[in-house]
Amino acid sequence: MDDTQQITEDEFKRLADFLYRRTGMVFTETKRYYVERRIIERIVATSSRSFAGYFAYLRSETRNEVEHLINAFTVNETYFYREDHQLACLSSDLLKERVTAKRPGDTIRIWSVPCSTGEEPYSIAIWLLENWKDVDAYDIEIVGSDIDTRVLEAAAEGIFGKRALMRLSPELIERYFHGLDDERWQILEDLRQSVRFSRVNLIETKETRPQGRFDVIFCRNVLIYFDDESRRIAAENLYDNLLPGGFICLGHTESMSRISPLFEVCRYSGAIVYRRPQELRA
Amino acid sequence: MPLIRKPASPPETPAPDDRNIAEMLIEGSDDERWTAARRTTLLPEALPLLTTALSKERIARVREAIFTALAKMGSSESAAVIIPYLRSDDAAQRTAALDALRAMPGAAAVHLPGLLKDADADVRLLACEIARVLPADDASRLLEELIERELNPNVCAAAIEVLAETGTAASLKVLGQCATRFPEEPFLAFAIKTARDRIGSR
Amino acid sequence: MSDYSKKRVLVIDDAALVRTYYRSALEARGFVVEEALNGLEGLEKVLLQAFDLAIVDVNMPQMDGITFLHTLRSKELPISGIPVLVTSTESGMQDMAAARRAGANYYLVKPIKQETLAEYAAIFCGAAR
Repeated sequence: MDDTQQITEDEFKRLADFLYRRTGMVFTETKRYYVERRIIERIVATSSRSFAGYFAYLRSETRNEVEHLINAFTVNETYFYREDHQLACLSSDLLKERVTAKRPGDTIRIWSVPCSTGEEPYSIAIWLLENWKDVDAYDIEIVGSDIDTRVLEAAAEGIFGKRALMRLSPELIERYFHGLDDERWQILEDLRQSVRFSRVNLIETKETRPQGRFDVIFCRNVLIYFDDESRRIAAENLYDNLLPGGFICLGHTESMSRISPLFEVCRYSGAIVYRRPQELRA
Repeated sequence: MPLIRKPASPPETPAPDDRNIAEMLIEGSDDERWTAARRTTLLPEALPLLTTALSKERIARVREAIFTALAKMGSSESAAVIIPYLRSDDAAQRTAALDALRAMPGAAAVHLPGLLKDADADVRLLACEIARVLPADDASRLLEELIERELNPNVCAAAIEVLAETGTAASLKVLGQCATRFPEEPFLAFAIKTARDRIGSR
Repeated sequence: MSDYSKKRVLVIDDAALVRTYYRSALEARGFVVEEALNGLEGLEKVLLQAFDLAIVDVNMPQMDGITFLHTLRSKELPISGIPVLVTSTESGMQDMAAARRAGANYYLVKPIKQETLAEYAAIFCGAAR
């Protein structure tokens, strides 16, 4: 099949139903043209002879094709203040809820996993310093983890280019970075020292357990690509890594409804987050 | 800055002693049973332990961990422990069992032909959803065979739902025959037409 | 005939063909339809949007329809008060009894004809006014 061809409406629906079941992402007719072009790109890239051939390949989950396809039509860049509505939810609602049972001086632990090259954990740190009025009252510990040691080295170094900083105001860049040259900025030493990085595979309990328990976990755009068995194990690990009543935030296109029934569904500031239940019912 | 500097080592969640896992799994508190279930697969006698624990366990979260442990074992025997719960009167137990079987496709596949011929229509119906996690060709063949002999419209509908995803041109004939068997059921006519359109549009 | 153009119905069923069939029945009569694949996604939807009726299947992955109902009824108003029509392929008494105990407004046995579904949707959306 070449990239001048089209897929039929029925083929589109067959694929849309599969992706909805698998990931919770909805592809309506209104997005059809855009999505269709990306599907055809993947059909060509995988040397599939036809839509049916590609669909069978996609279903078989060979070589993470579901992930490749979704990446083809989502912006998968990581940058500072990405999904800042969730950061707003963190400072306005989730931490308020968490500190009800804490005293000033207590520790609040936040986990960013996977953290990639560090944009997310540093964003959390900057956001809280800028936007959470109680930031001085508690010791906040931020941990970033990833399965890939190369991105962790980069994260610890904390050097970023223009694109990663595009959502930050010049004032914020001035306050938390120092320029290395015209194209690169490094996170200030103080801030770099306040985020700890560790290598973790989410489906290895012996690697997740040593991270301890957290008040809030950001776990974006990873669980949805796991197979059913790995999803179950990862969800149970994350449950163990949460304090009772602690929260977990997924990516905005993800839903726990495809992953695990272990967590309660909550709504804060128009965002859906998930919570480890406070206490078990007898 | 108020953020704390690299803490030396975080507070670990305590791991139980292996010797106590078996005891904890049956007699521990809710948290202990959960933790024990998550570690049971390390023990040689995991299967009988999990079988007993599952039969006694009433807390959904702990049951979930037991099912995950059985799915992780991934054997035909561990799947056989789960299957009776597909017959439960409690919908939550049926769901938990079905989700666990879906997480162990290879092991569940061994039991699938039998489940698709089960005397209980509700079990046949749930079994159709297990077929969805098999390779498309295997799923389609089993579901086509089921549709050829199936008299319950809801079981046919469940099979057609999966065939709409997995089916190939070879499925079209069986679907056509099925349509003639349930002339009084407009939903089946709709489902069959939709499945045929999706499978056979090229 | 009444105008249901502002009535919002949430269809919760894991079968895509069922959701599509219900959607076409309801949209033809002016209802606005949202879909969810299981009870958990159903809860996410009712927390984010207002609904006049939920049509809920029993057997679904991750969270079944009865557990969904229990959870829904434990929320605060107006969410807890959404009328719920439970559907199941099983005509067995235990699901019907469990649905009633969990707070279902009515129970329909599958397969359901489009006219029947629309008729009951109209009744419960009217009753919710």
